[in-house]
Amino acid sequence: MSLSLKIEFGGGLELLFSNQRSHKVTIPSRMPSGQGSENERPVDLKYLIFWLKDNLLKERVELFIENETVRPGILVLVNDTDWELEGEGEYQLQDGDEIVFISTLHGG
Amino acid sequence: MSCGNPTTEGQDALLPRRLRHDKSRTCVKCKETIGKIVVRHAVYCKDCFFPLMTFKFRRSLEPFVNAKPDGPRRTALKPTGDLLIGYSGGLGSSVLLDLVHRCYVLPEYDRSTAEGGRDHPRKDRVWRKVNVCYVEVCDAFPGMKDNTESIRCAVEQYDGVELISLRVQDAFDPNWWNTTDRSIDLTHFGVNLTSEELLLSSIPAPASPTDALRIYLSSLPTDTARSTALQTLTRLLLYHTAVRRECSHLLLGTSLTSLAVSLISSIAQGGGFHVKEEIQEEWTPNLDIANTTQNEDAKPSRNQRSVRVIRPLRDIGMKECAVWAWWKGVKVVGRESWEWPGSKLGIGRMTKDFIVGLEKDYPSTVSTIVRTCGKLAPKGDVAAQCLLCARPIQQGVQAWKARISIRSLNASDTKVTAPLLESLRPHLCYTCHTTLTSRSPRTSQDSPTAVPLPMWTIAQSRLWNQSTKAVDADDETELFVERRVNQDEMREVVKEFLLDD
Amino acid sequence: MAPRLCALCDNARAILKRPKTGQQICKECFFYVFETEVHNTITQAGLFHPGDRIAIGASGGKDSTVLAHVMKTLNDRYDCGLELFLLSIDEGITGYRDDSLETVKRNQQQYDMPLKILSYDELYGWTMDRIVSQIGKKNNCTFCGVFRRQALDRGASMLHVDHIVTGHNADDIAETVLMNIMRGDIARLGRCTLICTQGEDTIKRSKPFKYAYEKEIVMYAYFKKLDYFSTECIYSPDAYRGHARVFLKDLEAARPSAIIDIIHSGEAFEVKNEVKATQKAQQTCKRCGYMSSNELCKACTLLEGLERGMANAGITDRARKKLDAEGPAPENLRTIPMFHLPSSSSTGPSTPISLEAPA
Repeated sequence: MSLSLKIEFGGGLELLFSNQRSHKVTIPSRMPSGQGSENERPVDLKYLIFWLKDNLLKERVELFIENETVRPGILVLVNDTDWELEGEGEYQLQDGDEIVFISTLHGG
Repeated sequence: MSCGNPTTEGQDALLPRRLRHDKSRTCVKCKETIGKIVVRHAVYCKDCFFPLMTFKFRRSLEPFVNAKPDGPRRTALKPTGDLLIGYSGGLGSSVLLDLVHRCYVLPEYDRSTAEGGRDHPRKDRVWRKVNVCYVEVCDAFPGMKDNTESIRCAVEQYDGVELISLRVQDAFDPNWWNTTDRSIDLTHFGVNLTSEELLLSSIPAPASPTDALRIYLSSLPTDTARSTALQTLTRLLLYHTAVRRECSHLLLGTSLTSLAVSLISSIAQGGGFHVKEEIQEEWTPNLDIANTTQNEDAKPSRNQRSVRVIRPLRDIGMKECAVWAWWKGVKVVGRESWEWPGSKLGIGRMTKDFIVGLEKDYPSTVSTIVRTCGKLAPKGDVAAQCLLCARPIQQGVQAWKARISIRSLNASDTKVTAPLLESLRPHLCYTCHTTLTSRSPRTSQDSPTAVPLPMWTIAQSRLWNQSTKAVDADDETELFVERRVNQDEMREVVKEFLLDD
Repeated sequence: MAPRLCALCDNARAILKRPKTGQQICKECFFYVFETEVHNTITQAGLFHPGDRIAIGASGGKDSTVLAHVMKTLNDRYDCGLELFLLSIDEGITGYRDDSLETVKRNQQQYDMPLKILSYDELYGWTMDRIVSQIGKKNNCTFCGVFRRQALDRGASMLHVDHIVTGHNADDIAETVLMNIMRGDIARLGRCTLICTQGEDTIKRSKPFKYAYEKEIVMYAYFKKLDYFSTECIYSPDAYRGHARVFLKDLEAARPSAIIDIIHSGEAFEVKNEVKATQKAQQTCKRCGYMSSNELCKACTLLEGLERGMANAGITDRARKKLDAEGPAPENLRTIPMFHLPSSSSTGPSTPISLEAPA
């Protein structure tokens, strides 16, 4: 079983992802919880972040990830809603979700 | 709550942690719709977020549009000149342009004729003319992309504003400095960075402004100095452009976050005396430059005009800017980081990382920093305006510096004895002097002796040769070390004359 | 490669690089500039006068050990005529102060200065160990800081001194400036770069090491072979200070002058007049006579909370209200003895003042 997601990068983050703003990705719907395959959990945002790092991120990991989550200064929207309202990394992904990562670090 | 073991909790144990709102998701304003965005601790829906942004923007700007800032009674907005927006292509300035356009340019167009509103009655507009000024910095960095074209495309989306495109090396270009009403034969001055004195001498004209820029930056002793110097060049180019274009107001896209960064960064570089200016300032060009022509009667009026520099996004965090830009489809061209090959992080970048890191977990720290700095005023008198950065110089700065560190055993060296006409030192604020002289372990041993200077610095240096009254005589006494002579020292002088008690 | 000559005397071989200026100099010149800069700091501010009795806040740590050494050196060299005392505070943290107090006792011998040790226990009836066992490790720094401040003043008062000096160095002051901005403590921000502070009812307190880099203090101690005891408080440090400290160290690494530059910034601004007007005026604590912005000073508030079993009363408003709701303080509550400034005419040797035992 897999999930189909739409991922968008903004604020300069696209430069790290082949300079492409929009991506359509397919990821497994469950992830190992570290205690054997009987205990798989639904994939969450934290999983997606690392999946993106492993599969789409072309350079400079440290500009995307820091301390097991997105780098400070990166805003995440889940279906047009602040991820802080959805549980941040613990939000469980659904098929068809749209996730947006925007970097706010591009100066003023 | 503390479990009692400090090592497991880590350093964050005692900082007031922000509340997770696993509470209501309803918008705090309309209390009806489900919220979409969290701003500090409050939840807003889209329909309430947008007016909140424009409200905060206008609240930070409009009280300062009229020559006399508004009292309790709101009067009509009548600025004395045009508007200049400092635009870098970054997030803040892109959002700023968008907001200005929506609030002041677009309404006139909506009320206008189908052709686009050029016939709109002038008396109803707040701003007669809105200019956007962009300074391209790519030539300061090897291999950086020139963004001028992308900037032009982005600004073109906004009807009714005019783009002025500059390059940062214009700061070293006599052709940029000379306008039709003042052509001066400028002898080039260069500065010697070998000693704290910063002695000046004439140097042959640099091959090109770009060359001059590169020599200037690469001669500076630290990476911190390079970033700060580049920022100052950009800012002064905007200031001078505002004056030339008869703009009474210059708007910069500094968000709350960026402001906290620049305040701490400035304080870390000794800029405590101009904390106020860092937030908002009223700038008048220092000297009557027009009088550098031989004609004593040349009209000075243009250069007496002042520019009010305002940061209307100063109550708006970076996150809010990013969300606005995303939801409103604002094109953000972006800015590359200012990194020279082989450089380490300078103080500016370090501060940004620190503040942005803090903001993530403790959003109130950023606004506390700005609020606290807003309660500060400069201490002491202003001696003059800095020739490099146009900010006020605190009296006694050089004496203070000389007193803090003994750099020579020769007592007379603690007094600054170089004739004022030949030294840049007394004409710089603490920050700029530090920028040019403070070293780090990575500073190379050989010091450049003939470093070019920006046009505004040279133009004012020229005036010393022409008129000694341009130099404040009081400055001379400020350079001497003052100290109270105590009993023991006095006794030392007279001891042979004292009879034993 | 020919040996480098000292940049100052151009005579001896340079053996160290000054953290403050980057100059490469010899040992003797380093001693000279370090000591003379402190001397200049003192004379520029007109801190002391001949005959002054000065209490050196001595913790046995590097700052106070070097401070005692330098004060004695300068006093002798420039014939300042100061009477120097060592004043040490024992917070009652097991294993923490024991060794450093030994160092202070050694300092007493080495510098031939009278020493007074004052403990939280004799002053307040509570050791830090006991306080922490009651309130845990949160907010213990508030208690310790408040209690120490008063303890120094009280000890100095017992010694009849005119002036307290502490070993706060440039790094400490720079860190405090940053921290106060981050915390929004505008009152402290306006005062923290003053070299000498004095309330209406407190003893003058100065920081002769205000412009001395911490690294140079260590270097001085190293080359002079002064021994000191380096201790880190075992209870968790104030988190804001921790953040500011890390940031400051990074700044210093980028550009060593940053520490002095921050201090300069701190000296170059002050609180706006309209803000000053809204700040609370100083009064005296009605219970112990120490300076306070409220009826009860902070220490008395904290102590009452401890004594009545609600230690957080001094920390949070909610706890305070709860405490007040239980009724007024009982008559026999242990209190801190009444505080008196030493009278300005006292010049005689200190007469021991016994602490009043709790009723």
